[in-house]
Amino acid sequence: MELNNQPSFDAPIPGQSLTAELGARPWQSKPQYPTVDEAIDYYMERMSSEEFMIQLAEVLESGVPVTILANTIQMAGVMEGKHTIDVGMLVLPMLMEMIMMVGDSAGIEYDNGLEDKNKPKVRDSLIAKVINTYSKEIEGIDLSTDDTEVEDEEEIIEEPKGLMARRT
Amino acid sequence: MSRQYNPAVAAYKRMDLNSLPEDNKQEQVSSKGLLARSSPSNKGTSDLDYSNPAVRVAKQMQVIRKYRDEINGTK
Repeated sequence: MELNNQPSFDAPIPGQSLTAELGARPWQSKPQYPTVDEAIDYYMERMSSEEFMIQLAEVLESGVPVTILANTIQMAGVMEGKHTIDVGMLVLPMLMEMIMMVGDSAGIEYDNGLEDKNKPKVRDSLIAKVINTYSKEIEGIDLSTDDTEVEDEEEIIEEPKGLMARRT
Repeated sequence: MSRQYNPAVAAYKRMDLNSLPEDNKQEQVSSKGLLARSSPSNKGTSDLDYSNPAVRVAKQMQVIRKYRDEINGTK
């Protein structure tokens, strides 16, 4: 399957990961926040600062989707050695929710990035066809007869037939 | 530009917060007699596995979602 025809020039060159000593990179050493709870606390504290919220609101206003923003934040956390990539993946939905809350509180119409814009939309002609088909089926059904049947069923009261039943 | 794979989309969509039970405040036992129940009642508490980190994240999300709903006025 052909995904991308364009050559990618921003990808790392082969062997680039071997150009530094093993353990020299922050993500190769022990994470600062190894558990999800610690990572959540870290992000909560960081994101609740006024400076961060203002910057976040500006970025959201510029049209950057929430998904990309959240992924970038967690990836930066991994690169800085704050947490592992596993923890980053677990924290991602919470980061998105937090970013959206900032957007909501600032009254910004942001793009959450959850909808696939390349997804083909439902054609109007198809909708018209379905409406036509079902409208013909609905026309054939007599709704008034159904109501009377229900009423008749309700009126039938079962008479007791046991030996101890009261005789009328 | 092609849409690159973003794990955030799948991670967010998989978090089904609507099916997550809300925390009910446990009723505190006020009596301290000998026959009083020693442990708090389990009635109303959910069977969530809090050792699962995803559940803890979901609970955090639920709190934030509640604030968002309050801001948006949907609830």
